[in-house]
Amino acid sequence: MTIIHAPHPRRRLWLGIALAATLAPVAASAGAGYPAVTSARLAKAATDNGWLMFRRDYAGNSYAPFRQINTRNVAGLTLAWSYRIGMKQGFESSPIVNGRYLFVTTPLDHLIAFDAVTGKVLWTYAKNLADTGLKTVCCDVVNRGVALYGDNVYMATLDNYVVALNARTGKVVWQKQLEPADVGYAMTLAPLALKGMVIVGTSGGEYGARDFVEALDARTGRELWRTYSTPAPGQPGGNTWPKGMYKTGGGSTWLTGTYDASTNTLLWGVGNPGPWLATLRPGKNLYTDSVEALNPATGRRKWYYQYTPHDSWDYDGVNTPVITSLTYHGKRYQAIIHADRNGWLYAINLRTHKLIYAVRFAHATSVAGFKDGLPYTNNALRPTLTRQVFTCPSFLGGKNWWPVSVDPRTHMVYVPTIHTCMTMKGAPSFYKAGLPYLGETFKVVHDPLDHNWGALQAFDIDTGTRVWDHESKLPWDAGAMSTAGGLVFSGTVNGHLLAFDARTGRVLWRSPTLASGIIAPPVTYRVGDRQYVAILAGYGGGVPIWGGQMVKAVAHVPRGGELYVFSLK
Amino acid sequence: MSSRSSKRSAGTRTLQATACALLLTALLAQRGEAAGAPPALYTPAQAQQGHAVFERHCAVCHGRHLEGGVGPALTGGKFASVKAGFTVQQIFEFLSVDMPADAPGSLTARQYLELMAFLLQQNGYPAGKTTLTARIASGSTVALVYR
Ligand code: HEC
Repeated sequence: MTIIHAPHPRRRLWLGIALAATLAPVAASAGAGYPAVTSARLAKAATDNGWLMFRRDYAGNSYAPFRQINTRNVAGLTLAWSYRIGMKQGFESSPIVNGRYLFVTTPLDHLIAFDAVTGKVLWTYAKNLADTGLKTVCCDVVNRGVALYGDNVYMATLDNYVVALNARTGKVVWQKQLEPADVGYAMTLAPLALKGMVIVGTSGGEYGARDFVEALDARTGRELWRTYSTPAPGQPGGNTWPKGMYKTGGGSTWLTGTYDASTNTLLWGVGNPGPWLATLRPGKNLYTDSVEALNPATGRRKWYYQYTPHDSWDYDGVNTPVITSLTYHGKRYQAIIHADRNGWLYAINLRTHKLIYAVRFAHATSVAGFKDGLPYTNNALRPTLTRQVFTCPSFLGGKNWWPVSVDPRTHMVYVPTIHTCMTMKGAPSFYKAGLPYLGETFKVVHDPLDHNWGALQAFDIDTGTRVWDHESKLPWDAGAMSTAGGLVFSGTVNGHLLAFDARTGRVLWRSPTLASGIIAPPVTYRVGDRQYVAILAGYGGGVPIWGGQMVKAVAHVPRGGELYVFSLK
Repeated sequence: MSSRSSKRSAGTRTLQATACALLLTALLAQRGEAAGAPPALYTPAQAQQGHAVFERHCAVCHGRHLEGGVGPALTGGKFASVKAGFTVQQIFEFLSVDMPADAPGSLTARQYLELMAFLLQQNGYPAGKTTLTARIASGSTVALVYR
């Protein structure tokens, strides 16, 4: 079943110059060979010519050491090829590239393999969702991309399958359903391939699911381990929940984690507790809104850091924990850099698991500050059944899932940001499998301190100070990517891919208006002697559904997915 | 059931009526076994109003024909399946607190009832003379199963 609406790649004449057909090298095509993706290559993905995993490398920096496209020549970036996919839902997938194969996923779990140079479609696959009600999918029917290992490509689906396909042919090698569809769980993340395993997490924090991280044997799909986010009584952290409530406690794991080879640790962000209204579940509600550090061989939790204790505002802690080194007050650290939904940018010591610093990157009042390295909340801003609060940021976060990029040369982190606050009040709720389990009503409104809906910001990770701030009337809901060419790439809701000077934030290049708004992260790759930048346009996702007052600002955005690949003339 | 009984005796009529009632009861029972004998919970006017409210506040996410969009379908076997096991009460309490997603709880109590009436109609439940009230809707354990 394929409902991809475009039979052929559509090439365009832009600025009067016919490009793709003439520039594509006619030598070896993608069909010629698929370079096997070994553990050794994945370990060195940062320097690979392709883009082998979600955030490029295990550390999650999304920084590529390519400099063919750079600050001096980026103004000459032009379209190499594009492909109209159609489908009016949100496109959140990062293209994943190995050799001449480029893979993207679409809404409703289709997967398309392209020749990365010519844009020719090599094969397509569509998960059959005919029997799925898509009931417990909160934030659009999205998918964020694939993982690669050996000769296989892996995707996770809305009906909770992990599917392994042959990368050359698109034939299904194995598929395994982890949980039934429509009763709480769904999967939208790009899997992580690590040490012969495929590791995935689940969505469901809005539906009383008990979420988990699970590792499967990459060759067979056999379950190797599963670690639930919410512990049962008797397990460490089990006493942070009222009786039985861990069973519907959420703790979704809906974004891909990172891996620290030096300590052999898998780092995974955990989402909000359920139901949203915290008065219903007194306690710290571990390990929700935390980063958890797991032993990848067993799934056992080594340590955690909780970003928001006893959350009542839906501040998922799922955003990518980027592993990097930084120097703070003259001391050098191996650290996690993490921009949280709650509006704070965290630097956490990877050795001691303690906070190095935390600074606000957005208007943040619910989490009011830090004491002894731990966050504390403003209890007057906790909603109850009778108290409506006004607090910041809104549940959509100072940023939502759109990943940051850390540039080791500028020592900056580039943070997609939204400026929102909200009213929130408790409401009667009940648990019923297949229905949301919130216990709150809410309305997203403007941040009174900043009437732009969004920004892309740069912070110096050595000091935690803001270096530049590119403000935007519209929300900024695309991921960031940086390169050795001194550039940061990210996209806008009104359909432009932008290249910034990484040091100053000056816009050096702006793509022509693309078919739709951008909510996906850009990637870059090299084939032969040529560097490419790829981005999916296709507006949708959580903001136009849950954005309250912001919905109006984005209602005009044209819909429909299209993949664009740029290079120098 | 024929109404051309004017020439027949009152006795016959009574008998006939009784037979009819019995037959009807039997039929209903049979249907009830198969599909849960839907009571008429709302008025046609409520469903009609509900349709208008739906187009204004819900269709953008759930589709003009309730076929689903970014929100799930709100009619058909994938929505109100036996497996899902929804009751009228559950759906009413959920939607009147949490929908529309961009402004939960923002409609009037009356509009939420009209929406519930419209959802019932679109899932095969008959209209009748009784007006759906908040008390009925939030106490109703009637199964919501597409028929
Ligand atoms: C901005 C988008 C949006 C609007 C507008 C909206 N909904 Fe929803 N609705 C959703 C989403 C998304 C879900 C999925 C569950 C969730 O996360 O709440 C949902 C779920 C539901 C469900 C539960 C379905 C199931 O099978 O679990 C019902 C019933 C519902 N909506 C009714 C309504 C009604 C009635 C309106 C109009 C007042 C409305 N919705 C307006 C997005 C929307």
